[in-house]
Amino acid sequence: MTHSYEVFLGCAIPNRFNNYESSMRTVAKELDIELIDFEGASCCGTVVLKSIDETSWLSMSGRNLALAEKRGHNIVTPCNGCFGSLKDTAHVLHDNKAELKKINEVLKKLGIEYNGTTEVRHFVEVLYDLRDQIKEKIVHSLEGLKVAFHPGCHLIRPSNVAGFDDPELPRKVDELIELTGAKSVSWGFKLRCCGSPLLIASEDVANKILIEKMESAKEAGANCIVTNCPACHTQFDVQAYGLKNEDGDVLELPALFITQILGAAMGLDEESLGFELNRVSLDSISDILGI
Amino acid sequence: MKIMTETWGQFKSFEGKQFKTFDAEFTQKVSNLLGGQDLTACFQCAKCSAGCPVSDKVNIQVHELMRMLLFGLEEVLETDMVWLCTTCYTCQERCPQGIDITDIIFGLKNMAFQKGITPAGYISARQSLYDKGRLYEPTDWEREDLELDDVPELDVNEIKKMLESTKLMKLQETE
Repeated sequence: MTHSYEVFLGCAIPNRFNNYESSMRTVAKELDIELIDFEGASCCGTVVLKSIDETSWLSMSGRNLALAEKRGHNIVTPCNGCFGSLKDTAHVLHDNKAELKKINEVLKKLGIEYNGTTEVRHFVEVLYDLRDQIKEKIVHSLEGLKVAFHPGCHLIRPSNVAGFDDPELPRKVDELIELTGAKSVSWGFKLRCCGSPLLIASEDVANKILIEKMESAKEAGANCIVTNCPACHTQFDVQAYGLKNEDGDVLELPALFITQILGAAMGLDEESLGFELNRVSLDSISDILGI
Repeated sequence: MKIMTETWGQFKSFEGKQFKTFDAEFTQKVSNLLGGQDLTACFQCAKCSAGCPVSDKVNIQVHELMRMLLFGLEEVLETDMVWLCTTCYTCQERCPQGIDITDIIFGLKNMAFQKGITPAGYISARQSLYDKGRLYEPTDWEREDLELDDVPELDVNEIKKMLESTKLMKLQETE
């Protein structure tokens, strides 16, 4: 087995997007990606703790990095928030010896230490590595699916930390989407933040951003949104549920996880792909998905 | 323009505003934040604000915030831009001077939090991180339906010990 990782789920996925975890595990199994349980994982700290106190954030995230390092494993996560937070921490601790020393003073009290060797990857990076294998496994074409793919910010920015795709013209996940026969449409606000991090500060402003995103996706003729992040998905499948703009136009669109559409195209067990838990109705595209 | 009524976005406009001092020490303090080292390279091209998703939703925009930092105006901590930054990193990615703008704003949030200038949501998020080591708890019935294993256990005492050492619950000057 060439791909083996400790899987860092974070807080949001087990709380409200168990369909993402289930579809990820189903796809991983089909592609022989080994996902080892991450014992003792805390929250990554995410932008929330980084906003409150950077030392606590680096400690929280650093502890997770140190645990995986001690066990000799690298980390894979399906969440942009965890990916960004863990990678950003690794970046800071790698570049800044004074910070590393400071954080190790904290970790020492827990009997652990971070030496800066843990690799952090997003699950879509692993999928992209395996794109040839995925292509061979497509048994059901999703032709007719017009996807507004939302990469989310922390998958691609800041690019010197994320190191995954072109920050202004990302194409890698779109390539994966198009392997299924679906079309990844160009849309004006594709790279714009979904607004999710503002739900904690101002739901009003978060909603305004979401309305702009949804109008842009609709204008481009998309018939669904695809994400690879539970924080972004909260906007598209929870906050957008029943959302209307000032003119009364219904703005919701079916919102799917990348692993759900890949799983459907690979003909994997429908129940484990967790479509039952998607909140916005999938009726308008269920024929295409074959569900 | 939206008028923020929250306690954390009180600085609404430069119009008629008198500043007592330009505090060089404050600029220095911000330069020492993570990402703050190139702060003084800002030449006000405003490319940051051009790509910012909240530029049309705030009273003070990113390039204005950057200028306030250079001028040493601590009032910057009371602008709505600080807490309405979505952390999308578009400004940082595009800054022609290579300034880590988003990271600087994270540092400003830390400084504002210490002064008690923060949206209430952050206070409860902090409590939950300290009490449970997580922001949200697993939804067990969904996991059972999908035949997912339990989320691996976490020793909360370990997290508490760590966050006590970083003084997370005693950050505010009044605490």
